[in-house]
Amino acid sequence: MQLNSKDDQKQKIDLKSALSLATTALLGTATLANAAESVNKDNWSFDTAFLYYGESNRVTASEGIIAATKTFNDDKTLNLKLTVDALTGASANGAVAQPNVQTFTRPSGNGQFQVSAGEVPLDDTFRDTRVQLNAQWTQPIAPDYTASVGGHISKEYDYLSLGINSNLAFDFNKKNSTFSVGMSFFKDTFSPEGGIPNAFSSMVINTNAESEDENEFKQSRLTDSDNKTTVDLMLGFSQIINRRMVMQFNYSYSMVDGYLTDPFKMLSVVDQEGLAQYYLYESRPDKRTKQSFFAQTKYHFEKNILDFSYRYMWDDWQINSHTIDSRLRMPLSGSSYIEPHIRYYQQGAADFYQPFLQQAASLPNFASADYRIGEMNAYTVGIKYGMTMSGGNDLSFRLEYYSQQPTSAGHAEPGVLANMEIYQGVDAVIAQVSYSF
Amino acid sequence: MASPCEVIVETSDKALAQKVGKLVANEVWRIEDKYSRYDKRSLCYQINNNDDRSISIDNETFLLLEFSNTCYLLSEGLFDITSGVLRKVWCFDGSDNVPSIEKVSEILPKIGWSHVNYSETSLTLPKGMEIDLGGIGKEYAVDRAILLIKEFTDLPVLVNLGGDLAATSARNNNQAWQVGIEHPGFEQSQPIVISLLSGALATSGDAKRYLLKDGIRYSHILNAKTGWPIVDAPRSITVNAPQCIQAGILATLALMQGQQAENFLNEQTIKFWAVR
Repeated sequence: MQLNSKDDQKQKIDLKSALSLATTALLGTATLANAAESVNKDNWSFDTAFLYYGESNRVTASEGIIAATKTFNDDKTLNLKLTVDALTGASANGAVAQPNVQTFTRPSGNGQFQVSAGEVPLDDTFRDTRVQLNAQWTQPIAPDYTASVGGHISKEYDYLSLGINSNLAFDFNKKNSTFSVGMSFFKDTFSPEGGIPNAFSSMVINTNAESEDENEFKQSRLTDSDNKTTVDLMLGFSQIINRRMVMQFNYSYSMVDGYLTDPFKMLSVVDQEGLAQYYLYESRPDKRTKQSFFAQTKYHFEKNILDFSYRYMWDDWQINSHTIDSRLRMPLSGSSYIEPHIRYYQQGAADFYQPFLQQAASLPNFASADYRIGEMNAYTVGIKYGMTMSGGNDLSFRLEYYSQQPTSAGHAEPGVLANMEIYQGVDAVIAQVSYSF
Repeated sequence: MASPCEVIVETSDKALAQKVGKLVANEVWRIEDKYSRYDKRSLCYQINNNDDRSISIDNETFLLLEFSNTCYLLSEGLFDITSGVLRKVWCFDGSDNVPSIEKVSEILPKIGWSHVNYSETSLTLPKGMEIDLGGIGKEYAVDRAILLIKEFTDLPVLVNLGGDLAATSARNNNQAWQVGIEHPGFEQSQPIVISLLSGALATSGDAKRYLLKDGIRYSHILNAKTGWPIVDAPRSITVNAPQCIQAGILATLALMQGQQAENFLNEQTIKFWAVR
């Protein structure tokens, strides 16, 4: 900082911003906004991430995210986010394992596959690429009022989702409290290859010439595509308790209307011996009303920051779930931290969930053997390491292990099924690298 | 803080104003008790009298050390919180009592921020060395007070700790605070009146603290690297910045540039008022 040296203007300006940053570090986050404003105004900032998700022997997914945020001088912000993910692998098709080889028709109707004795039937044609774009505009509209509107489009090979959302937040009690109301609307169109099967239609297995059964396959199909609409209403309240603690409460009410069945899922119909006689496509109600309550608290200890949350979700399919999630961010030095993460999830089954149908019983109105709406426990354990690099960019690595264990909701297992694995768990590894600049 | 302090709250609610005053007083006393180098119960005193042993420090102290470190690096060693030991030979009482070159040189090995080892939780100071947060303590207290007030009320409040001051916001109806900067001892200088909308003002330099010998005026701003006063610096500089601690350090760093003080601030596009 010798004045007489021929430092260029840039280096001189650096003194001011270096001091400004040092002051921010000294006085805490309360002044962060101001300091950031003077440095970052009218600039784009970017967050990028690459995520890998791999289930043992089942689905693997790769996902790339790039998000760009621009903050304008008057605190208006524009956020754009592009997500691309690719999924491949196999997922359970709903049928139960059997002591003999089973044959299934692929969901498209083109060809068949066989599943060995004792194996949980997986449909291995699961392959999709999804491109998703979100845009969100946020701006203050009056003192203490902030409004936000956004749009969403997501496209897969056989799926299109369009959505809009809006949110209004009101700060009061010297900005220590914030109340928000939000609403969103989605319209999803599903047009699976091979069309949408009739509820409880029998899966056609063409053992010989394919043309012979083509008509029959088509007859099991209702239509080429179907859609559903989702309306979400959200109420939020956040409260700064003191310098160290902030709490957040959310309630959401969600109404889904339309085609809610999974056209790729089926149920085995078994006889008294537990042997599969044939397979029926599943059938779900065309309405679902979900509600959830969420509470979160963040507490800043001398060094560490604890983030703890609980969610209770319930719906009129009689599914309810509890989620407990906690993270502890522990700074290692001025510029890096590690963050262990534990999540526990417990879910009760939908009232029409059953692992298989019995031939002797009359057909219920609705039935699904999809493990995702059955009874289950799941947990995630993971760790994240993050650092701020010279120049202020953030780099982080996350590694997590996920284990999902479906449990029996008390359905009897006749004959051979007693020896079969009906509720098969899923283990997965999640790895993510994120970089912000 | 050894200087008059005031808190001005723009309200007609007396009880509220008293609460704000008490809030600020408690915080300022807390900081003074913790970092005064004279008070034997203070953390600073313990640090300075711990004979080469490691002492555990809390997060606040660590952050203050980090800030001091940044200032040390930015000033290429001119600003050094270990330079307080020079007080043993320099006594700026307006006399002609300038120490000998030898005496100053004897002290120099006891100065040097680079000899201090510290982490987030502990600090080790070589025996005989001292740290002195006096150069940033008052300004830090102003900023802390402002933070606490903002958590407590939206009312416009001005905190003035012996001339280092900051406001939480503009006064009602977006009026500026009128702040007079006095320069006691500069007989001919007019008091400067500054309109402050928000942010902070800090002043470095003191008319009464100097030595005068053989026609040379020795200011109390010492160069930590040589142990000798900065030559040809303005008598006083007042700087405006978003936070008081920034304003204070900029004023001090400017004085350390001697004759170039005003140039230094001009090149940084910093608002200031200098008295020569």
